[in-house]
Amino acid sequence: MDEFQEILQDFLVESFELVEQLDSDLVELESTPEDLELLNGIFRVAHTVKGASSFLNFDVLTHLTHHMEDVLNKARHGELVITPDIMDVILESVDLMKRLLETIRDTSADAGIDVNACVVRLDKCVGGDGNVEVVSVEAAPEEEAPPVEETPVEEETADEADDIDYDNMDADELEAEIERLLQERQNEDKAKREAKIAAGEKVVSIEADEPAPEPTPEPEPTPEPAPVSTPAPVTPPPPPPPAAPRAESNDDAKAAAPAKKAAAVEQTIRVDVKRLDHLMNLIGELVLAKNRLIKINDDVEERYEGEEFLEELNQVVSIVSLVTTDLQIAVMKTRMLPIGKVFNKFPRMIRDLTRELNKKIELEISGEDTELDKSIVEEVGDPLVHIIRNSCDHGIETPEERLTKDKPETGVIKLKAYNEGNQIVIQIDDDGKGLDVGMLKSKSLEKGIITEKEADMMSDKEAFGLIFKPGFSTAAQVTNVSGRGVGMDVVKTNIEKLNGIIDIDSELGIGTSMKLKIPLTLAIIQALLVGVQEEHYAIPLASVLETVRISKDEIYTVEGRNVMRLRDDVLSLVHIGDIFEVERILDSSEHAYVVVLGLGTQKLGLIVDTLVGQEEIVIKSLGEYLKGIEGVAGATIRGDGGVTLIVDVVALMDIAKNVKATALVEGGSGAGQISNEKTKASDYTVMIVDDSKTDRVIMRKALEPLGVTLVEASDGQEALNTLKQGDHNFDAMLIDIEMPRMDGYSLATEIKKYNRYKNLPLIAVTSRTGKSDRMRGVESGMVEYITKPYSADYLSSVVQRNVNFKSEFLS
Amino acid sequence: MSDKLKQIINKQGEQHGVSLDQSDDIVQLVGFIIGEEEYAVPILAIQEIVKPFTWTRVPQVPKYILGVFNLRGSVIPLIDLRQKFGLGAKNHNEETRFFVMRHEDDVAGFVIDRLTAAIRIKKSDIGPAPDTISGDDTLIDGVGKQEDRIITILKVGKLLERDF
Repeated sequence: MDEFQEILQDFLVESFELVEQLDSDLVELESTPEDLELLNGIFRVAHTVKGASSFLNFDVLTHLTHHMEDVLNKARHGELVITPDIMDVILESVDLMKRLLETIRDTSADAGIDVNACVVRLDKCVGGDGNVEVVSVEAAPEEEAPPVEETPVEEETADEADDIDYDNMDADELEAEIERLLQERQNEDKAKREAKIAAGEKVVSIEADEPAPEPTPEPEPTPEPAPVSTPAPVTPPPPPPPAAPRAESNDDAKAAAPAKKAAAVEQTIRVDVKRLDHLMNLIGELVLAKNRLIKINDDVEERYEGEEFLEELNQVVSIVSLVTTDLQIAVMKTRMLPIGKVFNKFPRMIRDLTRELNKKIELEISGEDTELDKSIVEEVGDPLVHIIRNSCDHGIETPEERLTKDKPETGVIKLKAYNEGNQIVIQIDDDGKGLDVGMLKSKSLEKGIITEKEADMMSDKEAFGLIFKPGFSTAAQVTNVSGRGVGMDVVKTNIEKLNGIIDIDSELGIGTSMKLKIPLTLAIIQALLVGVQEEHYAIPLASVLETVRISKDEIYTVEGRNVMRLRDDVLSLVHIGDIFEVERILDSSEHAYVVVLGLGTQKLGLIVDTLVGQEEIVIKSLGEYLKGIEGVAGATIRGDGGVTLIVDVVALMDIAKNVKATALVEGGSGAGQISNEKTKASDYTVMIVDDSKTDRVIMRKALEPLGVTLVEASDGQEALNTLKQGDHNFDAMLIDIEMPRMDGYSLATEIKKYNRYKNLPLIAVTSRTGKSDRMRGVESGMVEYITKPYSADYLSSVVQRNVNFKSEFLS
Repeated sequence: MSDKLKQIINKQGEQHGVSLDQSDDIVQLVGFIIGEEEYAVPILAIQEIVKPFTWTRVPQVPKYILGVFNLRGSVIPLIDLRQKFGLGAKNHNEETRFFVMRHEDDVAGFVIDRLTAAIRIKKSDIGPAPDTISGDDTLIDGVGKQEDRIITILKVGKLLERDF
């Protein structure tokens, strides 16, 4: 059973690949009906699917493909001209085939879809030769049940059109004929193989090369390879060699279809996507570790400046970082698929649409080799369908209309993909009637999507963006194709989900151009790290258009909303702290940074306190428990091991609309000083920060006689945490400079960021006596500088002076 | 053979001073203190117990969810059981621990005040939750009685269930 499942999986994967190719081939075929190579390719697809499905006992599918094969076979031999009507039937049957394959994928059986109507129509196409066909139609379903029996029949029908009239042979004659053909074929193969081996090539490469000569119009061998593949085990005589040609010809059939365009077949293996995902996760971990390593390296560099081993460490770190980056790219590439996989279905769609809408439209595709991450390729299909449909329905005019406008009768839609930096751009251009800004606005007004005021303020670009609003449709009436106002909304949602940007350009009467800019991959992204108060957030760089530094008075308030002028535009602003409910504890400076976010056609300015930098981040989910938090797309782990939340730009745009601006100038509420009345000596609290236990004890000894409360911390980080916990109201801090984790200067700088500690006296106690050390001390906000060694009395008096120690407490 | 094995196992059990007949009847729990009460969860539900370290605040969640923290590469939510149980927040101290619990695929860290001990308790010594608080919504799985104390056993699945 497992083996069957495995075969079934392979069959489905292969069939879907073939069918995808089939669509575009068929459309191409319609324009060049005499292209034999193309026809052969298509025939082989039908045949391969038929062969495999009969082997797997999918009778309905076999039945259908069998009749498709008949029609195609006729066409291949020039007995049938492919007219648009016949093409319609063939396309219909291809659709049926797809549906059957989908049913098989979902249920492992092909029941439930009626193919008879289509089969009858297919038979009609075969037409004139009716009598021959009728026999095989009846014969097929009967004899197909046991696959062994079925195969000779298959060959019979496949070869039917050949010069020899097999129908009139009796069984023995037929056997003999088959044998003859097989023998011929084998000898041929053998000769070929020997020639190749002689030429020093591997046998494998023969298989890859072979399809190239095959499809060329030699009627004899072409129909053979595929049919022979299945009968080989049944036919009695030729004992040892059959295995070889069988495997080979089997490969032919498989390789031939996809290989048609590319001259050389690339050697590939199929890998389960799960494995690739796992690989990607591991790389993600590695990237995190790399970031961490770089951070540690920086720290070490600072601490041990000038040491010799640093250079070595530096080298190792840069090699690791380089290799990790390469590895990441390599793994990313394994997940890449050409976007042609999506583009392939559009020729067919355009064809159907032109017939349905009675328009003449040509589709030009370029850049189908451009590669994208698999998960993105899957997401990008739907939006493109909607955009192209829209272009066909609303963009391109009817032929008559076009002629009156001095345009060529046939409209052109250009679909192209190309790389641009870290993004891929998919561009859809049409030469239709373009978007009418006035009409868009009045339609939106009418539907209550925007207000009159908004309409007046809107730029052309923003007006184009209206087509993405849910409920909006420019079509005067709802057609089968579009007009229900759902489609373009889907486009926006899907593209935004991928962190993509939509850019519309349109000129009335000339055409419309739409650009979808999508990041190459989803799992590891470039992000801009920003700081607000003490927190950090990561913003996907793909959504960041620019950053600007502004002073507070450049921010205006309009109807309770913050806005600013950005060159010629008015940009609405929102403070990141308002969105993420960040407490304002730190003093806000005169200046702020605005990160201009672009998404789809919208823009928004996000006010942040600081820009931290650009970093490569790995997106991790917040898990089931915390999913669905508005504005948060996930989290990432930073170089220091901390977690940073990733901003969900899509949600942010929505939240921003409802956030009332808080006055930015105001520096937070709790800025009040710590000025508790002191009633006894122990009300005074002093923190001693020193990494040396001995030094702490010495300080303690010096201060204990005062009766003040003493709290100790062994480094800057600990001191800061103690301070933040707020268990004590400190009146002064004695700080050593040389400390692990966080030194005295950084500690002082950190402390001075807090409003409430603005006036907390910080006293340096250090053995560093240099002038520059003292200067740094002053810069970082220390008020006194005591050099070791010192006398207990001196320390005590300095502390007393700084905490305004009331003399009455001195006993 | 299997008899011999049983004998050996029994002997070992006796040596450990736990001569409780069959291991099926014993529940192994880990006890901890929140506020004044002692609670316990099945030992198998605990992935690990770690000392507190920094976490990152997450916006728009109830107060008892402190945020998320990094546990060797995984981002895990951190829940303060004190606040969840309606007690006031308390600063973390030397005895505070993060209890990382797992139920099926859900993992979360819980802040507890103090760890007590691993507890072996007979199934028969566990009573149901008091009637007044039983039902589907309760976090309490049962109440374990040991010589001098009563331990509230919590439902791990329920603790890890999102309830906002």
